[in-house]
Amino acid sequence: MTPAGEPTSLAARQAALVASLVAGGPPPSGFAPGPLAAARAALLRKRAGEVARHWPLLATGLGPAWPTVFIEWAAGRPGAGGLRDGWDLARALHARAALPALGAEELAVRESDLYYDGQRAPRRRRLPALGRAGDALALQVAGRIHLLRRRRAPCKHPRCPAAPGPDGRRRAK
Amino acid sequence: MRRMSTPHGVGIGWRPEISGFVAGLPGLRFVEVIAESVPTAGPAPHELVELRDRGVAVVPHGVRLSLGSAEPVDPDRVAHLAAVAQLLAAPLVSEHIAFVRAGGLEAGHLLPLPRTHEAIDAVCANISRAQADLPVPIALEPIAALFDWPDDDLDEAAFLTEILERTSALLLLDVANVYANARNRGTDPLALLDRLPLERVAYLHVAGGAEGGGFYHDTHADPIGQEVLELLTEVCARHRPPAVLLERDGRYPPAAELRAELDAVATACGFPEVT
Repeated sequence: MTPAGEPTSLAARQAALVASLVAGGPPPSGFAPGPLAAARAALLRKRAGEVARHWPLLATGLGPAWPTVFIEWAAGRPGAGGLRDGWDLARALHARAALPALGAEELAVRESDLYYDGQRAPRRRRLPALGRAGDALALQVAGRIHLLRRRRAPCKHPRCPAAPGPDGRRRAK
Repeated sequence: MRRMSTPHGVGIGWRPEISGFVAGLPGLRFVEVIAESVPTAGPAPHELVELRDRGVAVVPHGVRLSLGSAEPVDPDRVAHLAAVAQLLAAPLVSEHIAFVRAGGLEAGHLLPLPRTHEAIDAVCANISRAQADLPVPIALEPIAALFDWPDDDLDEAAFLTEILERTSALLLLDVANVYANARNRGTDPLALLDRLPLERVAYLHVAGGAEGGGFYHDTHADPIGQEVLELLTEVCARHRPPAVLLERDGRYPPAAELRAELDAVATACGFPEVT
């Protein structure tokens, strides 16, 4: 017996299943919840890998936190491909000041190179443009991109030559 | 351009990350390439042209046609697969018995169909549409699924056999998928093999996987387990298909390990080594 409101055609049932797996839709009735949850998690891991291939600096900048940060952001949010997913995530992290420096650099370069409205596939810019994210600033002229400014927070590791000494000054010359 | 002969012997999935390794395999006669990764606007990627020119059959392997969707298959996607087959002088193409999108959403991976007559009608209609526009035969691959639909009318052997009979398509049997499904469903993989038309197999797939969260995952990024190799031996002992292909999609090991894995696959099937 089909509960009222449950889709019955194959097309509608496939749509309900995909919505449940990638868009936070309600679980379709009758499916075993454990295997469905395993499939949902596997899809997110696969997406994390694809986004990391498009945004290697963003993923590297987040270090061991990368899969968790991506999966928390992406759960219930349908995928738009590795390039756009990573772009949306980088902008979201930037908005809450949680974008690592390497990710900011990558975002600035992309913003200078391509026009992306958050809705449609990014398009190459024809005119010179600046891309800015955090401390990273990229200038694109005729398709060539120059990273103009990149200030990193001073390293706090005690043995790092660039780290500030006890007097607050850099140890390195 | 003259088409390459159909796959035979041991092959490997060509991926950009291992293109140098693949080009250096002296006995190689067969590779697959992910069809959607090949641009058709310009010339074929030179690494693939070089393989083809030394007599290596290149089989375009589609992953996004979504033949199992209730909606008709996208003619532009079929046209692209056909164009890749022409460009590479491929002897055949392959795709999956699965769907990857529905209701305007991309799932991002291959999803299983309900094993019902309604689903068989839908997938057979799409296979026929694709066959009408493809210049070469198509081989269909049953997928590894982490879940089943609640209303299956048929078991997997009956489901697959009916699709193959109605479409006259070839079978691309993935031994690792057979292993994964049997493992996750608690069924006997040999019982499935006994009921599949092994004489229809164009080639086999084999790949590594890993345990995680109580499931076996067909990752293509881990070494091939002993049990999968043993199942491969069993398949070839029943009816050895003309070819077998190793799929590796990530966490690529050092060349020596990958060569050893290819040799183990060759030994399991009784094929000559290609390394």
